Amino acid sequence: MAYIEFKNIDKYYGDNHVLKGINLEIKKGDFVTLLGPSGCGKSTLLRCLAGLEQISGGQILLDGEDITDKDPKDRNIGMVFQQYSLFPNMNVEENLSFGLKLQKLSSDEISRRVRDAIDMVELKGKEKEYPGNLSGGQQQRVALARGIVMQPKVLLLDEPLSAIDAKLRKSLQTSIRRIHKELGLTSVFVTHDQDEAMVMSDVIHLFHDGVIEQSGTPVEVYTKPVTSFAAGFIGNYNILDSRAMKRLTGKEWKNGQIAIRPETFLLSRDEITTEDYCMQGTITDSVPRGNVLRYSINVNDVEIYADVLFRSMSMYNVGDKVNVGVADHNCVRL
Amino acid sequence: MRTEKKKSHVGAKIAIIVIIAYLLLPLIMTFIYSLFQEWIDIAPTGFTLAAYTELFTDPLFWKAVGRTVVISIIPIILCTVFVLLAMYVVVVYHPEWDKMIQILCTIPYAIQGVILPICVLSLYSSAPEPFGDRMFMLVATYMVVILPYVYQGIRNNLNGVGAPRLIEAAQMLGASKFYAFFRVVIPNIMGGVTISVMLAMAIVFGDFVIINTLAGGQFMTAQMYLYDIMKKSGQRTCAVIVVLFVVTLIISACAFFLQSKGKDRKDR
Repeated sequence: MAYIEFKNIDKYYGDNHVLKGINLEIKKGDFVTLLGPSGCGKSTLLRCLAGLEQISGGQILLDGEDITDKDPKDRNIGMVFQQYSLFPNMNVEENLSFGLKLQKLSSDEISRRVRDAIDMVELKGKEKEYPGNLSGGQQQRVALARGIVMQPKVLLLDEPLSAIDAKLRKSLQTSIRRIHKELGLTSVFVTHDQDEAMVMSDVIHLFHDGVIEQSGTPVEVYTKPVTSFAAGFIGNYNILDSRAMKRLTGKEWKNGQIAIRPETFLLSRDEITTEDYCMQGTITDSVPRGNVLRYSINVNDVEIYADVLFRSMSMYNVGDKVNVGVADHNCVRL
Repeated sequence: MRTEKKKSHVGAKIAIIVIIAYLLLPLIMTFIYSLFQEWIDIAPTGFTLAAYTELFTDPLFWKAVGRTVVISIIPIILCTVFVLLAMYVVVVYHPEWDKMIQILCTIPYAIQGVILPICVLSLYSSAPEPFGDRMFMLVATYMVVILPYVYQGIRNNLNGVGAPRLIEAAQMLGASKFYAFFRVVIPNIMGGVTISVMLAMAIVFGDFVIINTLAGGQFMTAQMYLYDIMKKSGQRTCAVIVVLFVVTLIISACAFFLQSKGKDRKDR
């Protein structure tokens, strides 16, 4: 049974139809990511779940209870914001105990919960610090601790890592994932970063223009995109029409688009016999992308991208002739 | 490079000293003049504290100062409360009203000093109580005069702390919007509010035109007392100016002390 249910959710801002009949179910304990470009409606849906935005139509259920018209304070949902939103006039301890005091818990219980939350986000020794004296990463840890200290039914994370540098982001990704597992939380994470979504999620819902374009596990969404948008957004796929595919492979293709992941191409100076389709092309550009080298290759006037591991042994130069192979099962019909 | 930096520091220090001297010189001269009977030659002669003794023993003066403080504080408190409530509605429920409120609150800037009390008098002098009451009119008029300063200070600070975000965060922790605004947002903008209040205080404290038009001779304030004394004795006039300056300084210091006390607690 679904723990969170969005039933036919519509949201308008004036004439702007931001969410178009969203139906979505989230299982208890899952780490779910709403992924998509800016303005696609992912944050709006999250804010609707939090109660910070009113929906224009539909119903939201949490643990079987209709929370559509409930105030945010009555939903028992924790939230971590992109800009931390810590209270500047309160120190770490006061920020964390703010909600607990409103619940009128005993001071012993408040102290215990605050201590546990601080330990969990590894901020011991910073209890008396004010947000202004903490780094961005530490502030986001406090925001995370404040989100979990209330023991919410659901933890919402609205692009919490987008204002943090790449190295720290990776460490926080690990922390969030660990805390999610340790506490057995149900978490809904919003991001526009497909790599982040891949690393963190149990399930990804890909948003585009107010609708869910595709849902699935990271592997499913990555390897089996169902639309050209999904293919373009998730895996930097080569998206080719049937004519381009014919020029590439020499075989007739049914009308429609075909998506091929850059890393599924095999490149070699020698003739390739192991792949279904083999062709020859010319390297037109090469761009290092961390541990991967991305080549632009012209094959019969069709420009494709191919990723290979960045080894100096196998490097090609611009203008080099290269044999390119790809397996049929890696040519995904959209 | 280091020498250039040093030079610019020296230049900045000289500029600051010149500005401070320029601002303090009239006050120092006024103070000196209030302590001497004559100042015909280069140096003043006939040191005396008579002007201050007379001033401090004159019950009229203290009444006037007391009235000034009261008619300054009441409109400032009321105006601040009303603006905060209005801003609560704007921030929490109707952000689209912000532009309209800004225009409304800026209008008093455009009204010349004497026009406002005359308009108020002609509109409300025959109005029933409490609107026809001179004190009521005075307080209400001062509220209008200081509105732009109080509003702008509060608005800038609300924008600065990101009030909507803080309210949302507090809501997610179980607070109502009202509680979040007054218990989370307001403590974070108190520094800015204090500065706005001091500015408003300075404006009301120094007013003569409005009080003279609305209250006339029935209600003597410090400014009117000063105006009265000016006709009698130059030395006592200087003493009044110095005492009023000190009173304003004490009020400002108290306000900043209270505000910095809160800030210290925050920084500890």
